Amino acid sequence: MSHPRRSRPVRVLAHASVAPRIMAEFNRRQFLSVAAALGGVGLLSACGGDGDGNGATPGADATGRATGGELESQLSIYTWGDYDSPDVLERFTEELGPEIRLDSFNSNEEMIAKLVAARGTSGYDIVVPTGQFIPQMVENDLLEPLNKDLIPNLEHMDEAFLSMAWDPENQWSICKAWGTTGFVYDNTVITRELKTWNDFLDAAQNEASGRTSVLDDPAELTGLYFWANGIDWTTEDEGDLQAAEDFLVGELAPHIAAFDSYPGGSAIPQGTHALMQVWNGDARIGIMESPDPDRWTWVLGAPVTQLWMDNWCIAKGAPNIEAAHAFINFVLAPEQVIDQVDYIGYHTGAKDVESMAEEAGLEMLDLVFFTPEQIETMKEGEVNSAQQRIVDIWNKMKAAAGA
Amino acid sequence: MRAPRFLLAIPAWAWLAAFFVLPVATVVYFSFGYKPGIFGTHATDVLSLDRYREALSPTFFTTFTNTLRVGVLGTLLCLVIGIPMAYWMAVKVSPGKRAFLLALVIVPFWTNFLVRTIGWQVILAPEGWLSGMLQALGLRENPLAILYTRSAVLLGVVYNYLPLMILPLFVAFDRVGPAMREASKDLGANRWRTFTRVTLPMARPGIIAGILLVFIPLMGDYITATVLGGARGNMVGQLVASQFQAAQNWALGSAMAVLLIIVIAVTVLVGAAIAYVVTWPLSRARRLRLADLEGLPEKVR
Amino acid sequence: MGERRTVTDYLLYAWGALVFAFLFLPILVIMVYSFNEGRLLVSFTEFGFGSFRAIVDRPAVRSAVMVSIQTGAIAAVFATLLGTLAGVAMARRPGKWVLWFVGLLLLVSVTPEIVDAVALLPWLVFLGQDLGLSMFDNGVVRLVVGHSLFSTAVVSYIVRARLVGLDAQLEEASADLYASPLTTFRRVTLPLAMPAVLAGGLLAFTLSLDNTIISAFVQVSGTTPWPVYVLSALRSGLRPEIAAVSTLMLLLTLVSLMLVWLVLRRAGDSSTQIARTMTGT
Repeated sequence: MSHPRRSRPVRVLAHASVAPRIMAEFNRRQFLSVAAALGGVGLLSACGGDGDGNGATPGADATGRATGGELESQLSIYTWGDYDSPDVLERFTEELGPEIRLDSFNSNEEMIAKLVAARGTSGYDIVVPTGQFIPQMVENDLLEPLNKDLIPNLEHMDEAFLSMAWDPENQWSICKAWGTTGFVYDNTVITRELKTWNDFLDAAQNEASGRTSVLDDPAELTGLYFWANGIDWTTEDEGDLQAAEDFLVGELAPHIAAFDSYPGGSAIPQGTHALMQVWNGDARIGIMESPDPDRWTWVLGAPVTQLWMDNWCIAKGAPNIEAAHAFINFVLAPEQVIDQVDYIGYHTGAKDVESMAEEAGLEMLDLVFFTPEQIETMKEGEVNSAQQRIVDIWNKMKAAAGA
Repeated sequence: MRAPRFLLAIPAWAWLAAFFVLPVATVVYFSFGYKPGIFGTHATDVLSLDRYREALSPTFFTTFTNTLRVGVLGTLLCLVIGIPMAYWMAVKVSPGKRAFLLALVIVPFWTNFLVRTIGWQVILAPEGWLSGMLQALGLRENPLAILYTRSAVLLGVVYNYLPLMILPLFVAFDRVGPAMREASKDLGANRWRTFTRVTLPMARPGIIAGILLVFIPLMGDYITATVLGGARGNMVGQLVASQFQAAQNWALGSAMAVLLIIVIAVTVLVGAAIAYVVTWPLSRARRLRLADLEGLPEKVR
Repeated sequence: MGERRTVTDYLLYAWGALVFAFLFLPILVIMVYSFNEGRLLVSFTEFGFGSFRAIVDRPAVRSAVMVSIQTGAIAAVFATLLGTLAGVAMARRPGKWVLWFVGLLLLVSVTPEIVDAVALLPWLVFLGQDLGLSMFDNGVVRLVVGHSLFSTAVVSYIVRARLVGLDAQLEEASADLYASPLTTFRRVTLPLAMPAVLAGGLLAFTLSLDNTIISAFVQVSGTTPWPVYVLSALRSGLRPEIAAVSTLMLLLTLVSLMLVWLVLRRAGDSSTQIARTMTGT
């Protein structure tokens, strides 16, 4: 039946009292249909809207490498959340021009998967991977080599944090922040002094049984065993790995309460566990913000522990490559370094920061700055053929802990 | 009707086919491949069932048992909490307030998941105000020790999946309508009888929807159980995720995912069979009684 | 039918109140902690309004919130549309195909999000880059696609549950009175299914707001949604501004809902009337 409804008046036979309600009904329907139409327009405009969003690359040469030309108007940074001082970012835009756009990721593998899938069209300029993933990114052609002529502020970096194992020439990356692994314990529950990883493992199975948390990362877990037993934690030897599995799954797992990579943000201030494996910056925040800081003792992992490092890198196909270089150079300058260290709580690898930090009144500096002897004990990690095996150990440990 | 029966479902079908079936089928295809070296994620030039063999490890079975326990208990708890709640909302509350209450149920979940969890961590903290209050009132001797236990796992799961149970239940109870219940009372049934013989059976599609909408995603979820329960909340989904992320072994991850799906499908079928078998004598008994009382031949009904 | 309240009635009211208290307890805690001006969210050190300035001061936060709300609204509308149609078809035109379709829906619900995410990313890139459909390079479109998968399944299931067994008499009567199938759908079926459609829509919006894993993988530069930002910020120790922004988002969404309600009221219906339409009684 195809009578055009609108051209005919609708006749309704009803009681007089309900007439206004019926009229309102029609008005409401009209409103809803208009609203729906507007909504549809809104939807379409969102769809047709901008998909590119980035400036062109005026300064790059034919191969796409930066030449120090004019800076573009935008800069897109793909990094960990809340990992840069907002003041520093604002200052960059004020002094040099490009608007900064920050995007967040939750894990290195996720970031790599995105870059691989995008095949150079991701739209990101700067990415911030953790060191041991850089060889993989280089091999998969995901990074742009750095033009170090455009980054003179490299001279302000401490030599100890350049030329790392994953990028000896700093061709692809420059240190953004580095940290290490240790543990924190409640000294009212564990009254003896703990000093090494073996002490940690011992306490976990005794006083702190059922109240221990370890980092939720496969390498940190097997690292725990290897560091305690004097084995290189990047080993690929099956015998070593099997020994690690037997210990972690068979002996340690039942005593673990949680696999938590960020106890500083919640478990330390709330006092939920008695013994926690933790990163230095995270521990520092947790203890500083705890209602009773003296209760917590931090121990740098001994005799050996790790050195992890997040790096500034430029993504292949970055649309704003001049701005990217300018930003990296900007953020390495001494004026910005102290703000960064204060905001994120980690060492940025720059020279002479410790004295600046002392002047600025930062607290608990022993959890940020370490002596050269201590740094000697920190070993870099590596993604190698043992990765699958250590993920399996991690899963088995979780299954055993949850049983 | 000249149009095919599933005409209206075609848009949804097309959408899911384009953005779910096709891409996920590709990933499932990876499960027959392998991981090509340290830095690759997947390769399919050599096909085999080896990844499935790898996936069927003892870890998988241990973890699955725990997942099943959390899934079943969690769903049951949601059901037990949700039925009275939805019934109250759909039947006892005045019609003007119902839509408002419906929205109110869902409002807490417009706060981010992680943030809600932190809210619970603050509440349940052994050194927090609730713990202190309970100890001061003498209701507890020791600090609150719920966090990182099995109970906390269930708390987290029930809290986050309750709306997925309440909403379909509400819709179902609302469907029954006052007329039916009145008719039942007019015919002499008391409130309990009305509830069990009229309301509940008529609301059955909604109850089943609620159970499936909670149980099935819960079995694949792995984050909700760990947020408050820590190590006790180990779920099978974590195995799948770990292969896609930490191990960068998409082939093995897909094989585990396929295995997970098959195992859940089997569980649901077994559950349905059990439910059918359990409720069969009940329906039979009713029919026989009616026939005895009224003396009418079976065929008439 | 008397209005006598029995013991059961009181118990049910008490239960309802308890469940609401349970649902809102952590939310209230978060609202309180929005007024924390310390460094860490969980550690209440000083009272103040400073954390609320984050949404003004920090463009990353502001952008994340806007992206999430925008995507949520669009994804909800989309999923509700598709899901309602599918649910109606399953309830009113059952046949063998329903079994397959329900199977598909359950498959969508059971697939771990990481599988969806890893599958969708290269697919969207393929559609956007290789096939040149530039629509799929747009961040919001990608997010909507990712969020609508599970939500469509949820909505269709709820709508089906509502209509199934609800006698088709009214629709038959409508057809007998010469209404076209489209008219019957609009005037009879849809109002009957309205509570389910609304419940489904609300759920779809909620699910979209919380979607983390798929969002993380398919997002493009400039469209980081809120949950991805929050999870990412966990590494640096969540600041109280996260709580403040959550409170603001909650209020924002509540206000939008109330605006819709008010507009409908303004158009003449009493709230009972609206609720009646919405709950199909």
